Amino acid sequence: MIRSAFASTAITVGFCLFVLLVVLVPVALLYPEPGEVLSRFLLGPFEKTRYMGNIVELATPSMLTALAVVLMFRCGAFNLGVEGSFFLGGLTTAAMVLWMPLPPLVGIPLALLAGAIVGSLVCGIPGIVKATTGASELVSSLMLNYAAVFIGLFVLNYYLRDPTAAMLSSDRFPAEYRFESLIPRTRIHIGSIVAVVACIIGAIYLNRTSQGLEVRISGTGNDFSRHLGLNSVALNIRIQVIGGMIAAFAGGIEMLGLYSRFTWQNTTGNGWTGVIVAIIARDNPILIIPAALFIGYLQVGGDLVSRAFGVPTEIVSLIQALVMICVTSVAIFQHPALRKFVQGNRGEAAQ
Amino acid sequence: MQMTGDETAPQKALVEFREIGKTYPNGTVALRNVSFQVIEGDILAVCGENGAGKSTLMKILAGIEQPTQGTIHYEGRQKRIADPNVAGDMGIGMVHQHFSLIRSLSVAENLALGQEPRRGLLIDRRAAADRVRELAQKFSLDVDPETKVGSLSVAAQQKVEILKALSRNTRLLILDEPSAVLTPQETQELFEQLRSLRARGVTIIFISHKLHEVRALANRITVIRSGEVVEDGVLSEMSDAAISKLVMGVDVTRASRNQRDLSAATPVVVVKKATVATGDSDRRIDAIDLTIRAGEILGIAGVDGSGQEGVVDLLCGNVQPDEGDISLLGRPMALATTLDWRRAGMAHLPGDRFQIGGAPHMSLVDNVMAGSHRDKQFTRGPFLRVDAMVARTNELIKTFNVRCLGPREPLNSLSGGNAQKLVAAREFSSNPKFLIVNQPTRGIDVAAAAMIHGELLRLSQNGTAILLVTSDLDELLQLSDRVAVMFDGRIAVVLENDGLTPERLGPYMLGLEKAS
Amino acid sequence: MMDLAASLLSPEFFAAILRVSTPIILVAMGVLISERAGVVNIGAEGMMLSGAFCGVVFSAYTGSATVGLIAAIVAGMVGGLFMSFAVHVLRANLFLSGIALNLAASAGTILALFSLTGEKGISGTLDSEVLPSVHIPWVQDLPVLGTILSGHHILTYVAFLSVPAVAIFMMRTPTGLRMRAVGENPEAAKATGLSVIRLQLQAFLLCGVFAGAGGAFLSMGYVSWFSQNMTAGRGFIALAAEVMGAGGAYGTLAASLLLGSVDVLAIALAGEGLPSELLQAAPYVVTVLALALYGLRQAKQKTIGTVH
Repeated sequence: MIRSAFASTAITVGFCLFVLLVVLVPVALLYPEPGEVLSRFLLGPFEKTRYMGNIVELATPSMLTALAVVLMFRCGAFNLGVEGSFFLGGLTTAAMVLWMPLPPLVGIPLALLAGAIVGSLVCGIPGIVKATTGASELVSSLMLNYAAVFIGLFVLNYYLRDPTAAMLSSDRFPAEYRFESLIPRTRIHIGSIVAVVACIIGAIYLNRTSQGLEVRISGTGNDFSRHLGLNSVALNIRIQVIGGMIAAFAGGIEMLGLYSRFTWQNTTGNGWTGVIVAIIARDNPILIIPAALFIGYLQVGGDLVSRAFGVPTEIVSLIQALVMICVTSVAIFQHPALRKFVQGNRGEAAQ
Repeated sequence: MQMTGDETAPQKALVEFREIGKTYPNGTVALRNVSFQVIEGDILAVCGENGAGKSTLMKILAGIEQPTQGTIHYEGRQKRIADPNVAGDMGIGMVHQHFSLIRSLSVAENLALGQEPRRGLLIDRRAAADRVRELAQKFSLDVDPETKVGSLSVAAQQKVEILKALSRNTRLLILDEPSAVLTPQETQELFEQLRSLRARGVTIIFISHKLHEVRALANRITVIRSGEVVEDGVLSEMSDAAISKLVMGVDVTRASRNQRDLSAATPVVVVKKATVATGDSDRRIDAIDLTIRAGEILGIAGVDGSGQEGVVDLLCGNVQPDEGDISLLGRPMALATTLDWRRAGMAHLPGDRFQIGGAPHMSLVDNVMAGSHRDKQFTRGPFLRVDAMVARTNELIKTFNVRCLGPREPLNSLSGGNAQKLVAAREFSSNPKFLIVNQPTRGIDVAAAAMIHGELLRLSQNGTAILLVTSDLDELLQLSDRVAVMFDGRIAVVLENDGLTPERLGPYMLGLEKAS
Repeated sequence: MMDLAASLLSPEFFAAILRVSTPIILVAMGVLISERAGVVNIGAEGMMLSGAFCGVVFSAYTGSATVGLIAAIVAGMVGGLFMSFAVHVLRANLFLSGIALNLAASAGTILALFSLTGEKGISGTLDSEVLPSVHIPWVQDLPVLGTILSGHHILTYVAFLSVPAVAIFMMRTPTGLRMRAVGENPEAAKATGLSVIRLQLQAFLLCGVFAGAGGAFLSMGYVSWFSQNMTAGRGFIALAAEVMGAGGAYGTLAASLLLGSVDVLAIALAGEGLPSELLQAAPYVVTVLALALYGLRQAKQKTIGTVH
């Protein structure tokens, strides 16, 4: 079991690198100095403290959205509402900060909590609708992502808008509400620590608590949990609400950590990144941490070659799409020759 | 006993297997070095334990699977049977154990599937229906072409399945455990039809593990054990004991029940006039009366879909009755959920060990501890005491003799028999007052089945009331103190098991007789 | 408010419903075929987006709207090939493959647009063609009906004609029958000699044809340009319409029209000064409500239908 988990991880890492090169090398060849493009993308992110800081900043929200996705997937809910939850969470947190002039020590937790509660609707409603009517949580969560953005824009336009700003955005947050940078020359903030801790707590919850066991049993299909007499419907709803809260909380953290005013005009993509990170992590909360850092690294690399050579950042999305398919590919992961190659002879002996 | 072989006729091999081997990509060896001949005009019985490789071999012959070694010769020529169409063109048809019919399509559509008669771009429905009538008449199998397959009884679906297998000039008909879903009387009827097919020159291979059926129908026998042919010969030259031993490899002593008088024992489960009128039609029950006493094994017989599953659903809390009363040791249970039932002392070994009884991808520890994962001895606050759980799992693995690599392995790494023993370990070890067992030994090896039978008898001696639902009549009659026969959602009769025979149950199972 | 009532009952309003529903109907027909063959296609959104993009680009470079349409359809089919490769060859998860296709199409179209025009948002600099509108003789002269039924984009007529075509295809042709068999019980279909993979590949390709055409309607009719992520979830709405239509072509048409009219109603109400953001959210909310109501009805029917 342990050995096969190791093999899966090793194959995942191998394929991430493989896909990275398969996309990157041809793109690089289109430019006059392909070697420069490659080294900028692959090594650039480690050149400066600031870039490495960027990796962590980018990984922070996706760690939390990925954790939300992992919890919901492990419970058997194919809910993709994290994108909308993240958006509404950020918006609500921003609104609370602007509307509730409380001391930061009270105000920040309160704003984040409010964001988490409001944002949780996008994941929670599909869960409730599924439980009460049987309508697929997949389709309704996709629909609510769009609805969340438009409702959010309505609030922004009618209640939060700063009329003096050139673009559609809210008033500035009071400075004392914004998270301080923890490491000089980066914007790494307390949220990164929160995200890592959340992933560890998530792992403990799933693997070491009675309720976590029930979540995992629920996730294998309804028959077994019904056989045992577990109330998997209630558990399912609860996990989707919690998932929505985590994703929305991530939106709030992102807002207070990196922004001085609310400026999102559309979903941010952090939810989808969370889905990809969750899949690369193979639904394992601990592996979310390296997976999110890897995706963050890709994004920083893409950003660097974009600024230096004008390579569009969308190539990073292409890499992500391909990684996603490879990582879920049964044909790759259960390929006997590949597994044997990775596990080696020791693997056979252990069995 | 009927002697169907005509041993004086010249023997010509229709099919010859030469050193067939099949290894699955995951390393499982299903068949090795299988060589034997199928003689034209014979009825050949292929016997063996569940998992011995019989079905795999027949699927290879029908083009559904490919061998990894060896060759097949048909009428003396080497053939590669790449897919079921090739087999069909060669004149090979197969009747599957789990029917290969599409339930939402009509009989005619099912038979036409893959070789549809056309008129322009569209299917010629009339021609398809005519074809069915023609075939039905030719083989004297009565079916209506326009009916949706899903609305047919199991026996009628099997007729459709046979017609489908015969629809392409079939010379070799393969049947995979055809009697598993039939009553004794329906089985007799099927055998009549198979004999008349043989008279028309169709060669028949049929897979079975029921010796009396093999005797009644076949003239040759091939025994497969652990993927290898251990015997191949004329049936009349072999004794039952010899065949048994060949099939199982060892002599297995079957656990036997003592005749007991339980009429004075405490009633544990009492069901009065319980009706469930909603849900799937084959799970509905109508005014059921049942009493199961402490220490009693009550068997439920019936054709599949007669309401047995409905009784199981009712007594494990999956459904609540629309009308009627249930009590467990005097406690009213009509509104109880599964959790209430379990708290009141119910345990349940379900029919499907990988779908209902366990989670295939989760570890043995998780599978064994699920259900008792909130007990004080295994928790510390909200946290699990993993060490205590592993210790308990190891203990049960030992007691129930589960062969596995370790408690952290996933359930699906176990063979069917060992997985069933593991699920049984979880359910039996809770010292239940009332135990439901549904198809407890379906698809598992004889040794594991004997172990489970022994455990059931031990539990009943300790006073557990047991409800046994099984379609294996031998098992039913071997274990039950009383037998309730179900037909169409009702209990047709409850009989004391003092020397009951399958033939005695048959008329009740078919709804021909009712208790007065 | 009187104005509003008048505009809601006007022929133009009904004509707008037909126009707005067109892409949903087209994609929903494609989704229907793939769903009945057992491969729910979340990637329809991405197929549609690629179709919209290729229609604009190819019509701009060849000057022919027809070539643009063909390119759009081919783009959708390439999406189908991608899905089939992921699901059948790599045996990746069906839903996640669809999500990956959507992601790849979103990024890929932006990337390609940028490399062709230097812009990432909109294809304004490309001089692309639009597909023609059709005025039906006789019908166009009828009062009211003429305005509702005539003068539509050619793909609107194609969309409506495709509904009976898909119904006949699924229910009456050998391939349709086989696809339904494969979708309902792949093991049984395989034992019958059908090739599950080939039939599902065909279903993916057909889905691509419809989704590509739906995309072409958006960028070569509804508007005359391509902008990033312009499909705005219509592929997902089509998925919902197919669910509400219970896998039947006519039911799916009805559901698509319902979801289309909500959209048109939202546009009409926005003209009345209601906040446009809330109205834009309406179709998505209505879709969820409709799915929920449909689910409730299904559950109820199951109970009623099974009473003795």
